Order: sequence, then C-alpha cells, then structure tokens
Amino acid sequence: MPQTDYDLIIIGAGPAGSTTARFASTAGLRVLLVDKRQELGSPIQCSGAISGHGLEAAGIDANPEFIHEAIYGFAIYDEAGARTVHDYRQLKPDDYGSGPGKKPLGYVVDRRRFDRYLMTQAERAGTEVWLKTEGVGYQPQADGSCTVALRRYNQDITLSTRVLVGADGLQSQVGKWAGLQTHIKITELAGCLQFIVDGVETEGLLEIVTGHEWAPGGYAWVFPKGHGYAEIGLGVIATMTDKPAQWHLDKFMQQSFFRKRFANARILEVQGGGVPLAAPLRTQYADNMILVGDAARHVNPITGGGLHTAVAGGKIAADFLIGHLQDGLPLQEGALQAYQNVWLSELGDKMWKLYGIKTDIFHNMNIAQRDEQLYATMSDYFSPTSEFKKI
Amino acid sequence: MSKQQPVLFSIGWNACINCGACVAICPQEAGFVSPFDTIAVDRPCDIACLLCESICPVDTITHVAVMQQVPQPALVVDPSRS
Repeated sequence: MPQTDYDLIIIGAGPAGSTTARFASTAGLRVLLVDKRQELGSPIQCSGAISGHGLEAAGIDANPEFIHEAIYGFAIYDEAGARTVHDYRQLKPDDYGSGPGKKPLGYVVDRRRFDRYLMTQAERAGTEVWLKTEGVGYQPQADGSCTVALRRYNQDITLSTRVLVGADGLQSQVGKWAGLQTHIKITELAGCLQFIVDGVETEGLLEIVTGHEWAPGGYAWVFPKGHGYAEIGLGVIATMTDKPAQWHLDKFMQQSFFRKRFANARILEVQGGGVPLAAPLRTQYADNMILVGDAARHVNPITGGGLHTAVAGGKIAADFLIGHLQDGLPLQEGALQAYQNVWLSELGDKMWKLYGIKTDIFHNMNIAQRDEQLYATMSDYFSPTSEFKKI
Repeated sequence: MSKQQPVLFSIGWNACINCGACVAICPQEAGFVSPFDTIAVDRPCDIACLLCESICPVDTITHVAVMQQVPQPALVVDPSRS
C-alpha cells in the first residue's frame, strides 16, 4: 500500500467516532477526526443515559465535566401508573449508592460536554481534530487506499487514507456514499421530543412509562438531569398515531398519572431526535469503509439507548482496525466484513436478539396485550437478573 | 402512501428543533439535506413518500406539489407560468 495522508479518517466526532479515534491513536495510528459542527453534541438529540459499566468498558472516566447526575436504578410504569422498581441501592447495597466505597449504577450526561470530553481525550491521544469540516464523498483507489473529499470552512480538501470510518450518526451520509442499504422503516424510527424542566422532583432513578395511551410505539421517560432539573420526554412511531410527538408529550404532561407531579414544570430546554428501535445495519462495511455508532444503527432496539453501544462499538472498531492495518491486510473486496463479524460476536448478536423480542411485542395488534407485554419486558430488562444488562 | 408527483418541501423554521429525524427517515440518495440538518428544501423530491412529514416531532414540514420542473422552486407551484 502506498503512503497515505492518514491511516483513518473518521467523519463525526460523537461518542462512537471519538472513541474509535482515541483507541486508534493510542495504538499509534495516524487519525484525522472531522465534524461539521462548531460545538459538538449540539443541538442535543439524546436523553444522555449511560451505565457505569459502559463507560468503564470503553476506558472513560466518570468525569464531573460531563455528568449531570448519578443514577441508581430504574422504575418502570404501566399505563395506569403501577410500577416496578429496581433500585440497586436496595438490591445491592454493598456495591451501589452514594456513600464511601459505593458507586452509581450509571449516569445522565450532558451530551455537549460528554462529546467534547471524548474528543479531547482523542486529541490528547494524538488524534488530529478538525471542526467545521464536512465530509463530501469518498473514492476507493486501485492501489488499495481511498480518497476522502472534505469541506472545511468552505475550502475543498481531498485527502488519502487507508480506511474511512463513518461515525456520522443516524442521518449518515457516509453509508449512502458506499451504496449501503441504510434506509430505516417508518415503523422502526421513533420521533422523540423531550423537555428539560425545573420543578419536577426525581429520585435517582431512570423512570420509564409504557402504554399506548402515552407513547404509541415507544415509551415516555422521566430522567434526573442534575441541579434539581428533570428530563421529560417520549418517542412515538408515526404509523401508530396521527399526531406528532409534541402533541403526545403535552398530553402526557397534562393528563397522565403524573399530571400533579408535572404541574409546576417549567421548560428550560427543548430537544428532539429520531431514535431507531430497529435492527443493526445488515452491512456495515464497504471498500475502505466501516460504519460505527448510530450510522451503523448500533442502538439498543428495546430502550433506544445508543451511548453504551456507540462507545463499545467504537472500541471494537478501533481494536479491529489496529490489528488489521498493522498486519497490512487488504481493505477492499469484502475484506472489512471481518470487522462486522467481530462486532456481531461481541455485541451485535445480542442486539439482534433484542430486536426479535421488540418485534414480537409490536407485531401484536391487540393494544391491551401489547401494553402488558411491553411493561413486562421493560420491567424484566432492567432487573438484576436480565441477560441483557450489559448492553 | 407514496405519491407519483414530485413535491417541494417547506420547513417552518420557527418550530424546527434541528433534530434530524427527517433526514434519518429519508430514502433519498446522499446529499438531499439542507445546511440545518433537515431534508432539502431547495429542490423537488421525486419520491414524495412524505415520511419526513410523518416523523417530524413538531409537525413543521409541509409540501407543495411540483407541476413541472422549472429552475426556480418559487415558481414551480404555479402551472400557469410555464
């Protein structure tokens, strides 16, 4: 292979891209990480929940720079407000809690600060970072490398690299450049809206509200957001309602069993996004290219959570690429399928299984039965005995 | 759900929260985007599946049918001009 400008060019400096960059740079690869934004993580499209285990496994310190609030468990509600609580302060009091020698189960993070922190760690490991830089296209070359076209502050730049990593989120253009089947079904993308509010008390738990009445096709949530704030949101599937998420969120706040609790809510921020409740992409690689994070749809199909899966997938991608490039192995004609195989065995197979469980629930056309199934599944999912608790 | 006739999308920017859900659901080729993380509003969409309108959390995407391809999108809604 001829000399290239970089070993990796990573498009998108979110959690997946920055984690890939950090591990790759630490191993000595020459990495360029680009992001089109001027401020990472903004506008926020995410509720920000991640487990302590997820951070630890990806080598990320639970740094106060990005943590809004520590989490100690879950409360799952049915449509009428009956709830199942898994409070790990009570379930495993020797391990979890706020006292000395104990730790939180997870955190709600500020995506602006979290994304910036992860980018900073990548830079300190040796990654070159360009903000205000958009990916425009890429072209595999006959010599086994590829070129990547970028636009940086309106200037067109073409660079050569061995591998392009598409970490450009749910709206990924990189996958489309390679002609991958990236289209997601309308029945599997939840339209989400959330408010950061003052005046709503929380108890260190992630609260999940099921029920077609409140969030058809998805669920509603109340998360602690630090400083006495909370995050109230929901996601809906467009084919299961003729109203937008905004209408459902207003209804949830005004009419649900939480209406008294929410009566003094004062809205501080409005955030939204599309959350895939879908299977991972079937093909996450092409010549000289792999996808990570939301771009590869590395998102938990039951919870819609994508932070843990993004940083875990970023580490898997980096570990794979480090070995693959050091061994001088080919990068075209299907060679990078090996990345996908590693990802499937380490993480993806479990996500496919979750997708099967989720699909079974939402294929049930009987709303009352479906509500019951979703409540039972969510309640079980977050229990200490769940086989999926490390996802 | 799909319509044969191309449409030109319009976004009520006052309500748009730049969430990107419309781009995420869009079956168009790469590049059918605006500089504000939304679907393109400066050229017609020939697929016209309208999924972007369905997914929008704040219901702020609308469209007009494009009767004929003319270079200036502002004019294409008026067939009498062609």
